[in-house]
Amino acid sequence: MYVGQAILRREDERFLRGRGHYVEDITLDEPIAHAAFVRSPHAHAAVTRVDTARAVGMPGVLAVLTGADWTAAGYGEAEGVWPVKDMSGADARTVNRPFICTDGVVRCVGEIVAMVVAEDRHQAQDAAEAIAVDYEEKPANTITARALDPDTPLVHPAHGTNEVLVTEHGLKEETEAALARAHHVTEVVVPTNRVTAASIEPRCYMGHHDTVNDRYTVWTTNQAPHIVRRYFTKSLGIPEHKLRVIAPDVGGGFGMKLYHYPEEPLVLWGAIVSRRPVRWVGTRSECLLGDTHARDHHTVGRMAFDEEGRILGVKFETLGAFGAYESQWNASITNAYHFTMLSLAYDIPAIHTTVRGVYTNATPVDAYRGAGRPETIYQVERLIENGAHEMGIDPLELRARNLIPAEKFPYQTAIGIIYDSGDPPALMEKARALCDYDALRAEQAALRAEGRWMGIGMVAFFDMAGAGPVKMMNDLGAKIGCYDVASVRVHPDGRITVFAGSHSHGQGHETTWSQIAADRLGCDIDHIDLVEGDTDRVPMGIGTWGSRSLSTAGMAVYTAADRVVAKAKRMAAHMLECAAEDLDLADGEFTVKGTDRKLSFAEVANASYHSGDRPADLEIGLEETSFFDPADCTYPSAVHVCVVLVDPETCAVTLRDYWAVDDVGTVINPMVLHGQVHGGLVQGIGQALMEECAYDPESGQYLAGTFMDYAIPHAEDVPSFGLDSHFTRALGNPLGAKGAGESGTIGAPGCVANGVIDALWHLGVRQITQPMTPKKIWRAIEDAGRAQQ
Amino acid sequence: MKPPPFDYHCPETLDEALALLAEHGEAAKVLAGGQSLVPMLNLRAVHPEVLIDINRLPGLDHVRIEDGELRIGALARHRAVLESPAVREASPLMAAAYPYVSHGPIRNRGTLCGNLCHNDPASEMPAVALASDAEMMLQSASGARTVGAEEFFTGTLSTAAGADELLVEVRVPQAPAGQGAAFHEVSPRKGDFAYVAVGAVVSLSGGACSGARIVCAGVGDGPHRARAAEDALEGAAPGEGAFRQAAAAAADSIDPGEDFHADADYRRDLVRSLTRRALADAASRCH
Repeated sequence: MYVGQAILRREDERFLRGRGHYVEDITLDEPIAHAAFVRSPHAHAAVTRVDTARAVGMPGVLAVLTGADWTAAGYGEAEGVWPVKDMSGADARTVNRPFICTDGVVRCVGEIVAMVVAEDRHQAQDAAEAIAVDYEEKPANTITARALDPDTPLVHPAHGTNEVLVTEHGLKEETEAALARAHHVTEVVVPTNRVTAASIEPRCYMGHHDTVNDRYTVWTTNQAPHIVRRYFTKSLGIPEHKLRVIAPDVGGGFGMKLYHYPEEPLVLWGAIVSRRPVRWVGTRSECLLGDTHARDHHTVGRMAFDEEGRILGVKFETLGAFGAYESQWNASITNAYHFTMLSLAYDIPAIHTTVRGVYTNATPVDAYRGAGRPETIYQVERLIENGAHEMGIDPLELRARNLIPAEKFPYQTAIGIIYDSGDPPALMEKARALCDYDALRAEQAALRAEGRWMGIGMVAFFDMAGAGPVKMMNDLGAKIGCYDVASVRVHPDGRITVFAGSHSHGQGHETTWSQIAADRLGCDIDHIDLVEGDTDRVPMGIGTWGSRSLSTAGMAVYTAADRVVAKAKRMAAHMLECAAEDLDLADGEFTVKGTDRKLSFAEVANASYHSGDRPADLEIGLEETSFFDPADCTYPSAVHVCVVLVDPETCAVTLRDYWAVDDVGTVINPMVLHGQVHGGLVQGIGQALMEECAYDPESGQYLAGTFMDYAIPHAEDVPSFGLDSHFTRALGNPLGAKGAGESGTIGAPGCVANGVIDALWHLGVRQITQPMTPKKIWRAIEDAGRAQQ
Repeated sequence: MKPPPFDYHCPETLDEALALLAEHGEAAKVLAGGQSLVPMLNLRAVHPEVLIDINRLPGLDHVRIEDGELRIGALARHRAVLESPAVREASPLMAAAYPYVSHGPIRNRGTLCGNLCHNDPASEMPAVALASDAEMMLQSASGARTVGAEEFFTGTLSTAAGADELLVEVRVPQAPAGQGAAFHEVSPRKGDFAYVAVGAVVSLSGGACSGARIVCAGVGDGPHRARAAEDALEGAAPGEGAFRQAAAAAADSIDPGEDFHADADYRRDLVRSLTRRALADAASRCH
């Protein structure tokens, strides 16, 4: 069995040797031209003049294109993947992110106004600088909390409001009643900071128009090439059969590389106009500004407790940022992932939430590793933490009293979602033992007596992973079918190529999909190659996002492999003159049970393609495709605990320890799982302590345009993680596996925040907005000190 | 993002470099390690017409003790300085501060002299130079002159070096025997620009503090020397009380700015706490 083994990642040799092949590495027979963009320097402005005259004649310039040219060419608009109705039943007031400014108004810094195509990058950049654009600045607002205030400038005045949509979910009356009869009510205002994925590889696109065959090719840093192909039918109006989308090696996606970004159709447009392949490689500053941002929710939460600290109900009111436009999937954050997971790992009888999506003059917000769940977990857990302190109950004890007991699974939350499997008390007990909780509390008390501040943070939560099934996701708003696809092609020599509709951009599918296929096919893992990321080679795919690939594409590999085995067994049975049921398949051989009569897999494969001696009703060939629609989402769960130290003078935070106990069902490869958890934790810790897509509140200028201003954690900023697991099988797929890609990221912000608050509670500090930088901690302590005087 | 167009010269001798500087003056920028200049070029924050690359000039990468001075040449990389036994021997303060200077890849390429000429207000080495009475050896086609750190650092990203001058060497007087030194800093991540950094040296003579120097970075338009705090310490018995008093004086002596990373109140409080720590550590290292 390969499944369950920590075998080394098969793709790492090429990555570690610098032999990965990314969009920027692609070479073509024709010389590749380069695109550069003119972007709005203002958060909100009328564009009164775009003068390209100087740029057109500059050295190397092949094309200069503006929004007027886009309109004249008759090209289209973006389309949302996840359009949601307002609770009134009306369509949301959706304004999709423009590819290029066509209506004379820019609504966030970085919006594209013009494009230059030139022989090389420098010439393109020089010519872009020579384009004169006149702007008339308009009042702007980048702050989500202010979006619906009466005097706030409107991003889209035609709608008469900055509200995109409002939706309510849950049990309103029961929740109000719980708050009314509660022994104790905790309230916290919790803004979730705006962050971005900051992938190592910047976004990069290349377009090519083959005028001889009238076909188009786009190379893209994208997680779902078939979905990109779908949206080119809307942007440039290219039919799907005319377009090949290739996503080669991609250096990190995290959801951020899921979207049909403006630059993607623009480079292909540039290629069509200039009759040359055209490439754009995003600079770090362009990416920090123009990659979708994430989170940026402003939430007021109230939680009702009884005398023993049992949670009676929780009520949320949230403003969820869209930024200046709907990116493509934003509505899925607030309306599929945020509200659904509000119960976390707790047995909460009444939950109600109201979410208002709002526009601001900031970069569009979209899904990023966790999408909706980091916000939810952070918000609920901040309430639980403060509630425990306010009621004088040990925070772990209060949580333990509220966990969903194992015998209640499948468990339907008050919000309506059914968790198929899990055992939160077992996770909590393992975490308690792993961190030696009682010793930590003793240490905290001893340090506090010395004037040193130590805090213990924790969270316990469920994730909704593995988007599918198709019907469920359609009901939650998805316009695309959330299944996935795999083909297993056995070649006549018995070697195998697997084609999958997922896309690995760090996840390690070449290893894990091969582990699954090798077990089902009874073959050596080295006899299997994987193809992903090419719409001309892979039949169809929905892509890798939302911790879904294993329970969709991975299961399609599983299913297609089983179909291959079933067919091969019929051929082998014919050749061995036995019944198919009498055959065993292992170690690359079909053996008649109880005998030494056998045939190699390769012999059967060869006969499948080249032998005329076959069952009359058995088709030639050995290749099967599965379109796998899972029976359910998967619901991984986890308990995290951390220890933070806060310097009483400088307020610098040291994250000293971090433990995570995960339930991700059946594990394909424990090393790959740990890699996912480690990376996820670091991204969540970054959100908690240092990452922020900051805007100047007055001018709307973007302040985080380089890695000097946008800090992501270094290795030395995080501890060595302590991991453990406790597995319960998922019920929605044959392997019993649950998604593992987001668990770390979604738990860490709340866990670290609770650690910092726990360290400072005795000083009167009750809440600090993330990222919890030393400046903010210092100010919170000062303010608390003044309040207590 | 790519740099704006510029002419590039790569002189092989110092005379050639100085002649180019004399010719191009304000229109030129000197390229040594390029760890500040190149990002600024790529962000198109600066538009020099000419770059004069001094990396091929011979004999300027030294880090050595000579005539009671630590002498560091224009092409000595941060990493070489950081690892040099001469620095540990001659300038414990510089040695204490160096681990805070930027990140590994930048230290491999960046130079101390370039760092001093850039004079970023949050930078550690201008503060160390100020505390150490360092002297800047400037050369131009028309001659050489020596400028003390006090006069050299004239404000944010500006120095007393003329447009035709090259900082060929910095000279740091060897620290007096027995002097203790310490350096403390708070930054978003280790190696990032400091919110605030404080360096201190102190000697003990007859059981009393003497000759203390206290410098801050990140608190204004360049390195800041907290003279009132130094004076408060002169002749005082080393100990928590004296250090706290000096720290308060240091905090009173600054008028820090506010930015995205830190506000003025926090910076002032950091100067207080870091000064106290630096003094306590420096005193404990006296021998």
